[in-house]
Amino acid sequence: MPTPVSAARQCLTEEAARVLDDAVAVARRRSHAQTTSLHAISALLALPSALRDACARARSGAYSPRLQFRALELSVGVSLDRLPSSSRALEEPPVSNSLMAAIKRSQANQRRHPESCHLHHQIIQGQQQTTSLLKVELKHLILSILDDPIVSRVLGEAGFRSCDIKIAIIQPPVTRFSRTRFPPIFLCNLTDSDPVQRSFSLEVSGDENSRRIAQVLLKKTGKNPLLVGTCAIDALRSFTECINKGKGSSLPAELAGLSVSSAENDISEFVNGGGSEDKLGLKFKELGSAAEQCSGPGIVVNFGDLKALIEESVSGVAVSFVVSQLTRLLELHGEKLWLMGAAGTNETYSKLLGRFPSIEKDWDLHPLPITSVPFNDGFCSKSSFSLMGSFVPFGGFFSTTSDFRIPLSRTNQSFTRCKLCTEKYEQEAALIQKGGSTSSVADQYSESLPSWLRMAELDAEKLVDVAKTTDDPEALNAKILRLQKKWNDICWQIHQVQPKLDISHARFQVPSAEDFLLSANRKEGSSKDSSVIKSQHANPSSSMPTDFQKVFPFEQDIQIPVASAAENRNFQSELLDKVSKSQQIEMKSPWFARYPTPNLSLPPDCASSSPVTSVTTDLGLGTLYASASQEPDSSKISGDKECLQNFSGSVSAEVDAVSESTSHQVAPSSSCSGPNMGGQSDIRDFKSLRRFLAEKVCWQDEAICSISKAISCCRAGNGRHRGSSLRGDIWLTFLGPDKVGKKRIASALAELMFGTKESLISVDLGFQDRVYQSNMIFGHNEFGCSGTNFRGKTVIDYIAGELRKKPHSVVFLQNVDKADNLAQRSLSQAIRTGKFADSYGREISINNTVIVMASMITKGDRTFLSSKEPKQFPEEIILKARRYQMQILMECIAGDSDRSNGMNVRVTPRKGFLNPKSVNKRRLTETRDSMVQGEIFEMPKRAHKLSRSYLDLNLPVDDLEDIDYGDCDSDSISENSEAWLEELFDQVDENVDFKSFNFDALAGKIVKDISLKCQRSLGTKVVLEIDYEAMVQMLAAAWLSDRNRAVEEWVEQVLCRSLAEARQKYHLTAQSALKLVTCEGTFVEEQAPGACLPARINLN
Amino acid sequence: MYLMGNTLLEALNVRVEGSGQKFLVLAHGFGTDQSVWKGILPSFTPYYRVILYDLVCAGSVNPDYFDFRRYTTLDSYVDDLINILDALKVDRCAYVGHSFSAMIGILASIRRPELFTKLILIGASPRFLNDKDYHGGFERGEIEKVLYAMEANYNAWVQGFAPLAVGADVPDAVREFSRTLFNMRPDITLFVSRSIFNSDLRGVLGLVKVSCCIFQTTRDVSVPTSVATYLRDHLGGRNTVETLDTEGHLPHLSAPGLLATKLRRALSR
Repeated sequence: MPTPVSAARQCLTEEAARVLDDAVAVARRRSHAQTTSLHAISALLALPSALRDACARARSGAYSPRLQFRALELSVGVSLDRLPSSSRALEEPPVSNSLMAAIKRSQANQRRHPESCHLHHQIIQGQQQTTSLLKVELKHLILSILDDPIVSRVLGEAGFRSCDIKIAIIQPPVTRFSRTRFPPIFLCNLTDSDPVQRSFSLEVSGDENSRRIAQVLLKKTGKNPLLVGTCAIDALRSFTECINKGKGSSLPAELAGLSVSSAENDISEFVNGGGSEDKLGLKFKELGSAAEQCSGPGIVVNFGDLKALIEESVSGVAVSFVVSQLTRLLELHGEKLWLMGAAGTNETYSKLLGRFPSIEKDWDLHPLPITSVPFNDGFCSKSSFSLMGSFVPFGGFFSTTSDFRIPLSRTNQSFTRCKLCTEKYEQEAALIQKGGSTSSVADQYSESLPSWLRMAELDAEKLVDVAKTTDDPEALNAKILRLQKKWNDICWQIHQVQPKLDISHARFQVPSAEDFLLSANRKEGSSKDSSVIKSQHANPSSSMPTDFQKVFPFEQDIQIPVASAAENRNFQSELLDKVSKSQQIEMKSPWFARYPTPNLSLPPDCASSSPVTSVTTDLGLGTLYASASQEPDSSKISGDKECLQNFSGSVSAEVDAVSESTSHQVAPSSSCSGPNMGGQSDIRDFKSLRRFLAEKVCWQDEAICSISKAISCCRAGNGRHRGSSLRGDIWLTFLGPDKVGKKRIASALAELMFGTKESLISVDLGFQDRVYQSNMIFGHNEFGCSGTNFRGKTVIDYIAGELRKKPHSVVFLQNVDKADNLAQRSLSQAIRTGKFADSYGREISINNTVIVMASMITKGDRTFLSSKEPKQFPEEIILKARRYQMQILMECIAGDSDRSNGMNVRVTPRKGFLNPKSVNKRRLTETRDSMVQGEIFEMPKRAHKLSRSYLDLNLPVDDLEDIDYGDCDSDSISENSEAWLEELFDQVDENVDFKSFNFDALAGKIVKDISLKCQRSLGTKVVLEIDYEAMVQMLAAAWLSDRNRAVEEWVEQVLCRSLAEARQKYHLTAQSALKLVTCEGTFVEEQAPGACLPARINLN
Repeated sequence: MYLMGNTLLEALNVRVEGSGQKFLVLAHGFGTDQSVWKGILPSFTPYYRVILYDLVCAGSVNPDYFDFRRYTTLDSYVDDLINILDALKVDRCAYVGHSFSAMIGILASIRRPELFTKLILIGASPRFLNDKDYHGGFERGEIEKVLYAMEANYNAWVQGFAPLAVGADVPDAVREFSRTLFNMRPDITLFVSRSIFNSDLRGVLGLVKVSCCIFQTTRDVSVPTSVATYLRDHLGGRNTVETLDTEGHLPHLSAPGLLATKLRRALSR
């Protein structure tokens, strides 16, 4: 019923009534039947009012104020247009219920929170409360109008948030948080001349302290409280007084009648030399007999402040006597006697402990921290009680950001989810039975689960293990994955409420049941949540038993089908033996083979009422498949005994193996199980594994050793376990330098374990940072696993896609430290759960995958190893090698007769770090020395040493740069990834450290080789200078090449031939020197076989 | 009325966010609620399961749960914290507590030392009032005036207190803190402030055996820098003081990035 305007007006102050009149006018103009909150808003906006002002202050800065106000007026106008107009024009359209409610709300609020409005002081002084009707101020009216959902919607359309506006209204515009203009009412700014000087005794209830003391007294061991804390002595005193005055009502019933006797004075007198041992002994005896005779629970002996016992002035003997007496007292009358004391600080107590180490045990002490002073007068100040009277929270006025509020309906939500998920599960299970493929609803669905729900998958993991032995891995995987999802969800549900029959869990159970009731209530339309909650919680003890009983019947319902299912299994399997094995069921078997156990464990968990139906149906399905898997187990087990012996894992793993072999027979095309089975013996054989890897990469002995160990260990069944079942995925990290070595080992692993090199999925996670130019050696061939392959996809989508294509593979992730957040998350999840999720949350099992994560970072120090010692050819430089065409230049070196004697092959230092002249000088002096020795054949080596020695002078500069680069790089990543990496590295099966490749030694070898060959073709007189870049290129080629002798062959076939040509062409003299340089800008057109080097060398 | 189990989890808006192995509790201080952590939460969710909850005195909790007879000392808040952790079946966790919650964390670690791997105390103080050998930053008379001001005009008090507490010139932080302060029911605010100012943890610091990291900003109206040193010297475990290069009592609002970085470092130590 709408309220007449005049009645509404009575509730308002003049100012507010004027606004109401305006609103009524708006409604009349539009010939609406009622005046609503929207009309009020429209009226408020028309004039320069508090609302308009607040909007101006609350608006977001993104738009111009004029535009935003225009938008607001527009949206208000549009909403008003939508209201139905009445047929007959009313003089005063009555106030609608919603607006009237707003007025009432503001009225109530104003009454409750007088301090938040300016009426407050008037109330104190003028006793205005007597007026029965409080007039609503405009400000409060606006605030409650803003609470109207229609209004918030309209404001929202114009880009305003009503909560912002509310704050703006409450905060007067002058302050706007500027400290200068509005002196804060805090501390010093308060005038001391405040007329009302109320004394605030900082009273806080000692009740709480006493309660805690009583708790300690009730304990079996450590029952004697020692109060520790600055306020401990006061607390002790107040407890004593409280008990002795008979105010022990706060104590639990067991302690009723307790009394406290103080021995404090006697003790302190004695230790200060004031009494005799006899006197004190007598006192203690009295206490003992008092305890015995006492009818109640006993007496508490208060020995007072421990400080008395540890002061300097007291004699040690006296203290020992006191301690021993008290100990005896406790021994004799322990049942009915407590000790109690206090210590001002922990130090006091530790000092006593230092003197009497066993005192804590002897006295059975429980140090109880006391942190507040006990109260002395009233319980709470009256003023705070007066405030307490108001119930509606002030906070209700300001809507909090909704995402931080967890509604009480959380369990309720999950219940609906469960129904949803079971429905879908049933649908899909049916579809799979039919053999049809299903869509990916499951995945989308799982996406919608909040993240904390997904965590529960961990628990569920043990149920699922997929992707072994598949004909059509992709389709089946997808199917099974979806089913997995379902099961996870269901399982989550079951794990979510875990009532066991013991009482502690019952406690958890009951609230959820309560909430379920609550949600039911809500559906019935009662919107007053708080009252419902209140009634629910007011008497939890009474509602508990009934709720529990309600739940209990369900449990019994469930146990029966499960039990029968278990019994039936054998019977069913026999039956099924005769049924022709449908391939599909058989392929499911490895998965469902793991089901029986979890299924059987379901009943105690299923007490929550809603998933009951789903569980029973699922159980039916589960046992069906379970029996199917049981069947090949029994029938094939004799035939495949040899095969079985290879597996020493859990029973389920054996079932896997069996079904693997059966499916292999049924479908010989099954691509992966073949090599897997065949390779079994190899893999187990650590030595052969090691030999194979060492053939591929000869320079990483230690790394290979630990890799082989780790893999054979994992394969032998000592790998990671998920629940009881063995997981097939192996996680390795390759840390440190030697990119090529790591890659090659990874591909060798792929070849060895899965048959072909093609089963290597290689991804560089740092590809965004690295720009590979087309002509770089390492951007070119197999190392070019750069962005090109998965442009437009995220890295993890790419990986997931590849994994789907070839689930049996080695995933090689380079620069794992550069992984972005998404990849990080996916990897952490994968290592935990054995499933790799792509960016859409679709998961793929990695049960047959070896995941190798490579990083230049080493585990120990997190720095780039390569920059540790100065090297002539650091790995960074080799990695930047380009595929330039090579060229031989001839230079005349004038006037240097010394050199004419020797032939020399040497490498020029890096460009830009030495000027040629100084090189020359150094080189000359050095060579001269060596000439004197006359050991021509040592020359190349010497030359190598020589060049090294130049570089030693200069490399630090170079190295410094590298270090800088490395550091800043690692710094930038460390912020984000360090912790993640550390965690990841802790979880892998093995962290393998790689040594850096010794390029310097290789360079020496190559130079020597070239020198030898040059001598053969050119004679000893000619000097060959190899440009640094050219050398780098050769080193890179040697590093990359599969064969050991690739570069040597190239030298023989290409370089020597070119040198011979050059000799013919240039008529070399003693003064001439040949130079092998790279032609910057021109790239290799024709590549030499087997190496990344030009097939011929230009002569100019 | 005792809050237990799921009721407690719901009443105090307990949330567990993120996907890590380890648990991390972020506990907000007086005058704020769990939303105060939103600036630094994303930096921890990838590595930790972050437990967020509201103190019973926070504005986002139904004020009915605030039992004026029960929450007279910090121990009841400690009960809540420990009950939450037990209900979530947490057996080990790192704890980050701001101000009031730092005190709670200290007491909780005394009661259940095995539950905590590390305490990180932001803007913590064992005692706000000055004493003869101790500078807590407040005189009793001052406190009484503050409490009186709070009672007389909550609105004005908030407007004065918020910028002062935030310290740094970050309007957003001031607005956010004002919002959460406003959300608290004034009588509860008053009551809680009383129990905070009334608490004195100095005597029990030595009972803490968990290692603590004390975060202190360069200027904090509520906590003088000497308090951080006091804490370091008196807490019983291995302790470090980390100075944040920012001002104010609420670094998680005024400088979330900086705090997140430092927290990460401190947690990984």
